[in-house]
Amino acid sequence: MIEKLTPSRVVFNIINYSFMILLCIVCIAPVWHILMASFSDPRTMMATPGLFGWIVGSPTLEGYRIVLSNPSVLTGYRNTIIYVSAATLLGIVLITMGGFALSRNTKLKKPLTLMLIFTMMFSGGLIPSYIVNMNLGLLGNPLALIIPGSINAFYIIIMKNAFDQISPSFEESAKLDGAGPLTILIKIMLPLVKATVAVIVMFLVVQHWNSWFPASIYLSRRRDLWPLQLFMREILVQNDTKMISAAEAASAASLVNNLVKHCITVVGTLPILCVYPFAQKYFVKGVTLGGVKE
Amino acid sequence: MNKTLKQAAPQKRMRSGTSWKHDIRLNWGIYLIYLPIFVYLIIFNYLPMAGIVMAFQDFKPARGFWGSEWVGFANFMDFFSSGEFLQILRNTLVISILGLSVGLVSAILFTLLLNEIKFRWFKKSVQTISYMPYFISAVVIAGMIIDFTSANGIVTSFLVNVFGIPRENLLMNPSYFWWINLLSGLWQGLGYSSIIYISALGNVSQELNEAAAIDGANRLQRTWHITLPALRPTIVTMLILNIGSLLNVGSDKILLIYNPTIYSTADVISTHVARMGLQRMQYGYSAAVGLFNSIVGTILLIGSNYLSRKLADTSIF
Repeated sequence: MIEKLTPSRVVFNIINYSFMILLCIVCIAPVWHILMASFSDPRTMMATPGLFGWIVGSPTLEGYRIVLSNPSVLTGYRNTIIYVSAATLLGIVLITMGGFALSRNTKLKKPLTLMLIFTMMFSGGLIPSYIVNMNLGLLGNPLALIIPGSINAFYIIIMKNAFDQISPSFEESAKLDGAGPLTILIKIMLPLVKATVAVIVMFLVVQHWNSWFPASIYLSRRRDLWPLQLFMREILVQNDTKMISAAEAASAASLVNNLVKHCITVVGTLPILCVYPFAQKYFVKGVTLGGVKE
Repeated sequence: MNKTLKQAAPQKRMRSGTSWKHDIRLNWGIYLIYLPIFVYLIIFNYLPMAGIVMAFQDFKPARGFWGSEWVGFANFMDFFSSGEFLQILRNTLVISILGLSVGLVSAILFTLLLNEIKFRWFKKSVQTISYMPYFISAVVIAGMIIDFTSANGIVTSFLVNVFGIPRENLLMNPSYFWWINLLSGLWQGLGYSSIIYISALGNVSQELNEAAAIDGANRLQRTWHITLPALRPTIVTMLILNIGSLLNVGSDKILLIYNPTIYSTADVISTHVARMGLQRMQYGYSAAVGLFNSIVGTILLIGSNYLSRKLADTSIF
């Protein structure tokens, strides 16, 4: 539709575009500030008010040197990568299997689906879950971050919807060739739901990368098992930088702390922020799938 | 037509009558594939539901569910009669209703304004940038809030200079907490929560829009009478889901940024449960508070779904 550009339309467009640009600035500015501060000279930084548009003082990589040579940070990074890969892998395998099984025409399809949906509407709550997991021996056990959070009923429903969309003829021809359900799932169905699998994998990766609460209750005494987010919490939220600054001279410590806070934020956030724009077209699809078809 | 249906019916009943054996023989492989999920749900979802009995016990982990002493509704009474109950309930409701209404209205406004942008690359860029905050972890968000609202923080300095508020650590003053929580949530969620409305705009009939334009309807009228009604099912769906989780204020961020000085405005049900249960180890009491939360949440979900089916003819189940 071709629009006439009336004067009021021009005014509206100017305001609208300006608003959108302002909104983008508001979204980016805090993150950009941290990125710039992480390269800035800590002494000048203290004396400079406001959001940083660029690196303040002479650029330095000192903060990154401290952060990336710190054994705790490296442990955290390693643990996070292990938890994210294991939980995502386990999650996507179970979610795909669950979605596939619920999309088949079995006699128990209805009750099994209801049993799954009920878990989205009602839950035992934090404390009973904690006690159950404690009795399962998950306290102080790295499996606490891998098994309990791996499945999400909502994703199984999304997966089921994706399988429901596939024409039954694919399955029937494979059945005539004598293929079992697992063969049908892996060889025939899986390639057809690639996009949905990709969406769910991305959501799982983000969720597990950013998760801190389960670790804080199940692994609080096992620093060697902490994911990166818990070390970041110690530095950013609890303002406890002794793990970083023990090695530094006491006089420079408070200056360095400020720098280190910004550096560890960048180190812990950058991997996710680099990935999400590429996954965007998938997650837009995923959100829509989940929301519209319930 | 009627005849054939009647004839077909008994046949069908016969088939379903004998089909349990048939079903198992035919579908055992599929049931086997679902078995791990079934076991998972039993252990990690249904066992905790059974564990709710501890809400009626003076639960001691060493004695377990069978050995702990039964106390009836004492835990619930403790919660309802505690001085904190009304305050916690108020905080929970205020924080979630503020977040829900402001979040919903701004997501819809953002969607409508973005819809008026005709340059595709500009639109795409704005969208991509607006999603970005959603992917930042709660810990980092909390770190930023703490840094920016400290006595010398960027936000504090801005407010001191522009509105002349006294310089202080904003997270130490209870009267700012609702604002801090609302605005940081809006910053993080605006772009992401608009995705679903943006994609629902695809349902807006282009022909209807053009016909209305030819008939002399201006943009505002077309937005009001064509675009918004097309978004209605999506809006109602999101509203039902959000009302269902009205009491589940995300404890993730609040647990990280609150402190005892601002419990009077920042303590919500979920943080209360986490603090009482995990730090003070009052397991029975916390389970009771959690159960109260779950039950109210389920009632709200079913109630709002019922109402919207009656009033707006849209429902999620």
